[in-house]
Amino acid sequence: MSIASTIVQNTPIFGKMFSVDKSTGLEEINAWPALMIMASFVWLAVAGLLGLVMPATQLFALDTSWFYMTLTLHGAALSFPFGFQLMVGVGLHRSGGCVGKPVTGWLPALTFITMNLGAALLTVAVLMGLSVSAVVFYPLPLVGAKMGVWSMSSVVLGFTGIYLVLASMILAYPILVIKMMFFGKKREDLVLSERTLNDPGMLGMILASLTLLIAGAPLVVVGTIVMGVLYGIVPASMVAWALEPVVFQYAFYIFAHNMMEAMALMITSAMYATLPLYLADGTRKLFSDKLANLALWVLLLTSITSFLHHFITMYPSQPAMLSYWGNIMSWGTGIGAAITIFSVFATIWQHGLRAEPGIIAVLMGWTLYILDGASAIITSNVAWAYVLHGTMWQSGHFMTVIFSMSLMWMGVFYHHYPVMTGRKLDPVLGAWFVRLASIGGIGAALVMLAGGSAGMPRRYAAWNQEGWMLYGNLLVIFGLIIAASFIVYAYSLMKSRDISSPVGRQVAAA
Amino acid sequence: MLDFLFTGWGAFWMMLVMVVPFGLMFYYVIYRKSVVDSGPSPTPRSKLSRLEGYWLSAAFVIFVGVNLASLKFMPLIAAANASTSGEPLQEISLTATSWAYDISNRQIEAGKPVRFSGKALDTQHGFAVYHPDGRLLFTMLMMPGLTKSTTVIHTFKDPGTYKVRCLEYCGIAHHAMADELTVVKSN
Ligand SMILES: [Cu+2]
Repeated sequence: MSIASTIVQNTPIFGKMFSVDKSTGLEEINAWPALMIMASFVWLAVAGLLGLVMPATQLFALDTSWFYMTLTLHGAALSFPFGFQLMVGVGLHRSGGCVGKPVTGWLPALTFITMNLGAALLTVAVLMGLSVSAVVFYPLPLVGAKMGVWSMSSVVLGFTGIYLVLASMILAYPILVIKMMFFGKKREDLVLSERTLNDPGMLGMILASLTLLIAGAPLVVVGTIVMGVLYGIVPASMVAWALEPVVFQYAFYIFAHNMMEAMALMITSAMYATLPLYLADGTRKLFSDKLANLALWVLLLTSITSFLHHFITMYPSQPAMLSYWGNIMSWGTGIGAAITIFSVFATIWQHGLRAEPGIIAVLMGWTLYILDGASAIITSNVAWAYVLHGTMWQSGHFMTVIFSMSLMWMGVFYHHYPVMTGRKLDPVLGAWFVRLASIGGIGAALVMLAGGSAGMPRRYAAWNQEGWMLYGNLLVIFGLIIAASFIVYAYSLMKSRDISSPVGRQVAAA
Repeated sequence: MLDFLFTGWGAFWMMLVMVVPFGLMFYYVIYRKSVVDSGPSPTPRSKLSRLEGYWLSAAFVIFVGVNLASLKFMPLIAAANASTSGEPLQEISLTATSWAYDISNRQIEAGKPVRFSGKALDTQHGFAVYHPDGRLLFTMLMMPGLTKSTTVIHTFKDPGTYKVRCLEYCGIAHHAMADELTVVKSN
């Protein structure tokens, strides 16, 4: 028995929801993914609650340092050990079943350990006072330590945690996916639904892994140097260039922006794979594979350099030419989205849809993702950036992109759940989850975008001016609805029942 | 109308212009094809391909149109316009350090273009100017270690007290980093 399934089985409360079915011979593609998915939901449970603490600190006028602490933990935990890890777990299970390769050995273990240990170290550092938000704002950690706002040991601990998380995302996971795609022997007994790399349902996986590896490379170099200096291995004077804020920031955003785009490629690909399985007439085909692949390529090529939109308001230190380039490339990703929109609607129009909770969750998550995409390209326009950068508009964008992709992965997981666990989920609870998540997600997104339009700053512990508290109050309401949706989802996993009919491969083929 | 489009609320309307048609299509296609009648549609493929052409062209036209319309509001163009207007620039230089600003001049004349040039001395800071009615007029991002100052050229129309806020997160007293500018009638 795999060590991963042993851990899942022995985890209180959560173990019951995710324990894998050992009778099907598929444990090799199920065990590590199940452990990762379980861990992601543990992070969600903690970080989701912190999301509600944030507006609460403002409503009850608590010490502002609580706001910045929960802000940092909430953002970091939902982006990395929840959102990213959920994607890794479901994605690895999918890849294994599509190419017939086991998810075993030291790489999945390394991916899991670096992600969760790193996130745990960062959490401890934040609890020690390191409130630098999810995007680090280097050199803020060092400046804060110099000013005595937090300790140098919390900075060292926090950076170590971030470094481990990055190692998981930039190195371990992409290398694992590439290894599974291109190396090793295919095992027929693990093939659930075979896919080639030309399949839109698989192409995004590989494009995304390469993106993470390539776009993350500069940050690995700079991050390693910063670590070397922090631990006193490398003298700071020797590597002054790498410690320049501008170098760190550009390396950070080339990665951070493309990490989001990589996640978008993965989930779009997973949607292209899942949608055909729910077509009413049983066709199992997209409107056009070529068009679907084109959307992925457009998204990939335009997204790589669109990160420049993060620095538009730094003119002229970021030359106007580069800002305009980032502007146009960001809008180019919108063309990719327009192609995807057409593909999905045309496919459903032609063949009808079996509306089951899993696929509806995917489609509702995708709707939110389109809403988010619109908000993203608007704030990437040079003119709008000057009135939206640094406002709640961008928090709305960041939250919505993570939430929408997570909702889509939860839908895809819904689809794979019977194969992984040998149990089925109650469709009524599933439908309630989708309803609540959609209302909460769309509501929270619109409220935050409206707050940004009104000039409400993001990452800001003083909402009680200019009438901004209105948006704060509405956020609490929609936040509670989102929380309710997650509780319903967790409850449906708890209440899953054994599949009485034959399990395993027949189910996968159904 | 363009002046409204490129404000904060203009952005919200633009978002709705993009999202509402999508939502209607979503409802029309997915509700119809899953709840009302999930049978296959007889629409010929050639018709769908034509529709695809229209749809992508429309997206393309909106994308190009909006970005062309925004050109006039881009800082490089705004700077060029200000320098050809013949009005002398009012120069204001500022530095930002956690958690306060040092501003060379807080009194501004309405109707004359002002060039703000800012530097951050310790960590990243912002410099966002709010109209007395609460609207955000513009924000600047300043990063320490850069040789060039971040600049914005802006012409104030209305006299009054304008709030300044930092919009780049800079630590636990970030929200306290604020200042004020006074715009007076031109004489
Ligand atoms: Cu500041």
